[in-house]
Amino acid sequence: MSHRETLRELMELHGGPGFEEEVAHRVKAAFARYTDDIRVDRMGNVIAHIRGEGASPRPRILLSAHMDEIALVVTEISEGGFLRVWQAGGFDPRTLVGQEVVVHGRERLTGIIGSKPPHLTTPEERRQAAPLEDLFIDLAMPEACVRERVTVGDRVTLRRETMDLLNGRIAGKALDDRASIAVILECLETLRGLRHRSDVLAVASVQEEVGVRGAATAGHALNPDIAIAIDVTFADMPGQAPDESFKMGKGPAIAFGPNIHPKVFRGLRDAADRHRVPYQVELTQGPTGTDARAFQIAREGIACGLVGVAIRYMHCSVETAAYDDIAECGRLLAHYIAGVTEKEVAGLSCY
Amino acid sequence: MLLKRLTEAMGPSGFEDEIRGVLREEVEGCVDRVYTDVLGNLICEKGVHQPGPRVMLDAHMDEVGLMITHAEENGLLRFRPLGGVDPRVLVSKPVRIGEDKRFGVIGAKPIHLQKAEERRKPLPLESLYIDIGARDRDDALAHVRLGDVAVFATRYEEIGVRCAKAKSFDDRAGCAVLVEALRETHPIPVYGVFTVQEEIGLRGAMAAAYRIQPDIAIALEGTVCFDVARAPGHGQGTVLGRGPAFTLQDGRTLADRRFLEFLVHVAERHDIPYQFRRVKGGSNDFGAIHRTRAGVVGGSISIPVRYIHAPAQVMSLEDYENTVRLVRAVLAELAKGGFQA
Amino acid sequence: MTDIGGLKARILHWAEVVAPSGSEGQVREALLGAIRAAADTVRVDALGNAIATKAGEGKHVVLVAHADEPGVMAIHADEQGFLRLIAIGDVPAEALVGRMVQFTNGVTGVVGVESRVKPQDVGFEHLFVDVGAASQAEAQRLVPLGTAGVVQSPVVEMGPHRLAGRALDNRAGCAVAAEAFLRLAAMGRKVSVVFTAQQAVGSRGAGTAAYQLEPDLAIVVDAAPAGDMPEAPRMALRLGQGPALKVMDGTAVVPLDVKHHLEESARRAGVEIQYEVWPRGQSDAGAVQLSQAGVKVGGVSYPARRSGMMQVIDLRDLDAAVRWVVAAAASW
Repeated sequence: MSHRETLRELMELHGGPGFEEEVAHRVKAAFARYTDDIRVDRMGNVIAHIRGEGASPRPRILLSAHMDEIALVVTEISEGGFLRVWQAGGFDPRTLVGQEVVVHGRERLTGIIGSKPPHLTTPEERRQAAPLEDLFIDLAMPEACVRERVTVGDRVTLRRETMDLLNGRIAGKALDDRASIAVILECLETLRGLRHRSDVLAVASVQEEVGVRGAATAGHALNPDIAIAIDVTFADMPGQAPDESFKMGKGPAIAFGPNIHPKVFRGLRDAADRHRVPYQVELTQGPTGTDARAFQIAREGIACGLVGVAIRYMHCSVETAAYDDIAECGRLLAHYIAGVTEKEVAGLSCY
Repeated sequence: MLLKRLTEAMGPSGFEDEIRGVLREEVEGCVDRVYTDVLGNLICEKGVHQPGPRVMLDAHMDEVGLMITHAEENGLLRFRPLGGVDPRVLVSKPVRIGEDKRFGVIGAKPIHLQKAEERRKPLPLESLYIDIGARDRDDALAHVRLGDVAVFATRYEEIGVRCAKAKSFDDRAGCAVLVEALRETHPIPVYGVFTVQEEIGLRGAMAAAYRIQPDIAIALEGTVCFDVARAPGHGQGTVLGRGPAFTLQDGRTLADRRFLEFLVHVAERHDIPYQFRRVKGGSNDFGAIHRTRAGVVGGSISIPVRYIHAPAQVMSLEDYENTVRLVRAVLAELAKGGFQA
Repeated sequence: MTDIGGLKARILHWAEVVAPSGSEGQVREALLGAIRAAADTVRVDALGNAIATKAGEGKHVVLVAHADEPGVMAIHADEQGFLRLIAIGDVPAEALVGRMVQFTNGVTGVVGVESRVKPQDVGFEHLFVDVGAASQAEAQRLVPLGTAGVVQSPVVEMGPHRLAGRALDNRAGCAVAAEAFLRLAAMGRKVSVVFTAQQAVGSRGAGTAAYQLEPDLAIVVDAAPAGDMPEAPRMALRLGQGPALKVMDGTAVVPLDVKHHLEESARRAGVEIQYEVWPRGQSDAGAVQLSQAGVKVGGVSYPARRSGMMQVIDLRDLDAAVRWVVAAAASW
């Protein structure tokens, strides 16, 4: 199966912060093609260990892509059996109206986030976007049936079939950040054909969307020499700032800034130049909203890199990416890893 | 001149190379070992095999700055802040950009062309540009790379009565105090750490404290001071010239009462003026240090600095000297076992 | 069955103690006094956490209850002897106007507000405290700068089961954790209890405590807001309807295996439970969970109606919480 197909499957699986098991299961199966050393840690991070060549100690490079997606959680079953919700991760409530969702109760239920038809709304109402607290999920069943199947605290995820668009582009939910899991898989595939001294710790991390929590404990536990977070970034859209608008199909974005070790940045950029991987540079000015934020300050500090593909409509159910960018990002990482030497690792503390 | 050298060096958060080099030169020869960690913290060890409590002295070497993020067709540069910069202080200021410290200016639309209501509104960051004199985008990018960083172009100078003005007294004043402390010998293990990335979340100090595992830690900081015209007593934070300030509570720390009493005791015993930092907002590296591993005892000693994070900051040289004396006295008392947690 | 009277007596006693974050000393002594005899080791750490451990059988279960409360700190005294305050933790300035504050050294004062400020604009910079001092020096002698205090209010009993007053959040949780610790220790289980410091300013103590203890399971006992008041923010918890299983708050998502274990333990102990989803809620759970390589964390909460600096709790929820925590800890 191609990794594009794996990605399609991963996107349609359900797993929000703290309930990533279903996604984890599929990710383990995908990683199994490259190693049998796969484990799940206490927080639920999936960790695959791919050994490098030669005697230990070898450089250890961690790659992480978070497998959780933004999700909702039931806060109340109100009269009539309608569900009120809160969020785990940041939704734009305006994108939720009319959305199909899956409610993970005693059984899997399909629900609709209701909206008042235009015939019944006043002009003032139409001028205002409803906040999340005012939205409700309709399960189309009587309250008693709902109460048998749903409890406060049950999770809710978006429901969306993955779609192929023109030019190899792919659209659906949870591209953030399952696209980056596909990047890791593409990387491992390329890496099979390369010689590499470094051990690779491929991590599908949990709970990124609620504050990079899985990365915090994985960084501490694994304590690699280099940690590279792979996360999606913003593709260009009208009205966005020029330094936050990357082109789809023009290769991965390599991040630069205080959160990124300058030598890891240069290593990634040089690998891209050497192997003709198209890339864009993303400038950041502080801790990034990615796993790299936690990795950098784990223990005595870890040298971080950050790469990712640009997607449109982040945190909607129709996130869109160019698969070529995913494949190229994987290729970039593989060549970077193959080029890392002990000497380089030793030099990371030399400023 | 230490203060001049340190305050005129460049080092916005994450880009501390120049100031790190300067500090390394200043301490080399007076400490046993100097090294950097993976984040770029500069760690100095002095007498670490001696008996006694392991004391970590911390001063952050980064400063607030700007990063060039985009060049417009007409050659003007867009930028974003590194750390907390109030866009209102940027207008009509010069900056120095990149490794060759090229001059750039941040201007504004002439007052003649502004509407009355425009003048009342602060200029947002998106409407400010750095002008390096470039003719167009290509010309600009031939001299400045996207991702280059910039700092205020302010010279150090002594002004008024026993005061000095410069950029980045926050926290080069603390760095200078730390350098002076490292030049003396102490009978206890001392770890002097010049940290990175304080201004974007106390990040360097977190990793450094995890590594060092100190028994006692003290952050040396240039702190907020607003004892100016018509500021009420409880809105001043600190008062210029009234001596080093001790934190009671800030955004990231509640004072360890035992250590606070110890600091007060040392100051009084050595006849050094002191004051309390009387404002909750803001924080310093101790906020990160005290939460590492199983927790660390200590506190912070701050020098009042008017207009921190702005291009021209004002500090009292007497406060500075008293802080140097106080740190010396604190280390001496710690060596005598004057503090028991 | 628990002795509800015993729980109540402890809560009434402990809620009297003034213990804003960073000034937990007095309450710490009171709390440790209740469990010292049953513990093998008792210690206070750098941040002020009180930690007691009993060696025994089984996995190391750590019960976590914060001992501190939000409060105020004296930060300035003016020439007339009026004190100025800053908040410790999340304290709305308007809740202080016209109230008495009691400082940790026993001094009390009246909070006033500058007259030109509109009620909706009141901030801490507009408040002042009259402690009866006639000068700056006298004020600072009575209340040295940095002294912490709380809004004074007595704890009262309302009917047979309910208590109202300040600091019930989380002295009630301390009482649950203390009682559960005593029972688990008596059962010969390996168990620790931590009365954490500095929770109200961002769970600073909980992180360093978890780092030291490396729990196999940590159970955080804390209040969660009841939503059964008129036009209250939407929360499904009802006072008196049983303790709540924390599913998620602003700091942590409870792992599913811990959630299932707590559900199963409640069923075995015959405890009716509710479920807590607390948007943006602050608790020690997150700081504990993210310690080192990660800690399995669960949360047992009791509903509390909150009004200004006061809370109303129901002792039956607490009694059930004790039995539930013991059942869950003993079978992990």
